Amino acid sequence: MDMATGLSAIFLQNRPALLRFLRGRGAGDDAEDMLQDMWMKLEAKDLGPVADPLPYLYRMANNLMLDRYRSTVRRAKREQDWAEGAGGVMADPTSDMAVDERMILTQRLGEARAVLRDLGPRVELVFRRFRIEGVGQRQIAQELGVSLTTVEKDLQKAYRAMIALKQRLETE
Amino acid sequence: MIHEDALMWVIRTRDPEFVDWEGFTAWLEVDPAHAAAYDALMAQDAGLEQLIPADPVHMPAPANDAGDPGERRWRPMRWIGGGAVAAALVAVVSLSVVNRSDIYTVTTAPGESRMIALDDGTRIDVNGGTTLRLDRKDPRFAALDKGEAAFTVRHDDTHPFRVMVGDDVFEDAGTVFNIVHSGASTRIGVSEGKVIYNPSAQAIALPAGRALTQDATGLHVMPIAPEAVASWRSGRLVYANARIDEIGEDIARSIGVRLTATPGAAAMRFTGTIALDKDPARFFTGAAPLMGLTAVRQGDGWLLKEGDGPQS
Repeated sequence: MDMATGLSAIFLQNRPALLRFLRGRGAGDDAEDMLQDMWMKLEAKDLGPVADPLPYLYRMANNLMLDRYRSTVRRAKREQDWAEGAGGVMADPTSDMAVDERMILTQRLGEARAVLRDLGPRVELVFRRFRIEGVGQRQIAQELGVSLTTVEKDLQKAYRAMIALKQRLETE
Repeated sequence: MIHEDALMWVIRTRDPEFVDWEGFTAWLEVDPAHAAAYDALMAQDAGLEQLIPADPVHMPAPANDAGDPGERRWRPMRWIGGGAVAAALVAVVSLSVVNRSDIYTVTTAPGESRMIALDDGTRIDVNGGTTLRLDRKDPRFAALDKGEAAFTVRHDDTHPFRVMVGDDVFEDAGTVFNIVHSGASTRIGVSEGKVIYNPSAQAIALPAGRALTQDATGLHVMPIAPEAVASWRSGRLVYANARIDEIGEDIARSIGVRLTATPGAAAMRFTGTIALDKDPARFFTGAAPLMGLTAVRQGDGWLLKEGDGPQS
């Protein structure tokens, strides 16, 4: 069976639900156009077998929204830089600069290491498995012999701490 | 302040097994501010991996929870390729005198390679991250303590060239061969002539086109394409059904990066040719998909993992 056709059929069956999702995600009047883009991509691409077609389609729609948000933020930042007269001006790329950057990176990694250590080894392990290696929460819970709720709570704790660190480093 | 519900949905939707998209839709429809909070947190989540040091975590055995074997199931694979800092500082091969005055050590930093011409006409190409011992008084001797070297030996029937790797001896019989030694495993590939493995014990003859590996699973002899032997010298790595963990070591040594792999990725195998590139970002952009893997920048190194994550 043609897998792309299979995915297209599921797309058509669930079009109203996907439209609702995109509107909920804040696509507004663009929701219809975005669905059309998704349809074209599905038709054009020869996708291999997809295990769970409907979650796959939702994820595709969610990624479109994430891309849209990212490009909006980038555009806003460029315009701001331009207004502040920083547009197009590059820092002098001397070798001293690279050493500075490396020192900053090393320092940041040291701070992140301390934050992760304070969370405790289980929380750190859960966070690395999930966020770096892309392993699902159900599998992590099985590996560690803890409940799914414990894994979810560990992740929330780690995320709060890491996002707080990231925000602090960005304002420094 | 972090929007707690939005954080919960960030974590849920990032899970590769997430299926409750209708529940997520319902939450989004409650308040238009929900989508904005979710987007803002997903933006914070992006690039978080670059902030996380590549150190593996060691779980202490829980005191109140004996007999749980789950804890030890996961062990990260890790190859230290050193840092770019180390590579920059050690720009030149260091020669240091060890014990007897005629034995000297040649060390290369990860990502650095070096050619050594011995008095007898033998040439040794030393790859990065390698420690090799040579003898000033005996140009027919080399000991590979760690790393990788390719030997182009000027053959002499009366005085064969010998390479020591741990307790093992490789003896030439008119030969071009490459040896990799790391931890408990040794790999040798022969592209010209013949090498005798442990001439006074097993005495296994390895003609051109033959490779031998020795690791925890024992000794294995297999065919190898002669052009694949020491291909790192021409900026390529050539593999036939090689494990990703071995390939990862070769990459770390050859381009000088700190590289780790998830256990799933480490156990995978690859057949094909990988072009080396000293720019890690450019290298992994091409090489990772070729191996069916994804490479992510993690802390001051790189991580190889299976397939594609849910999103970048």
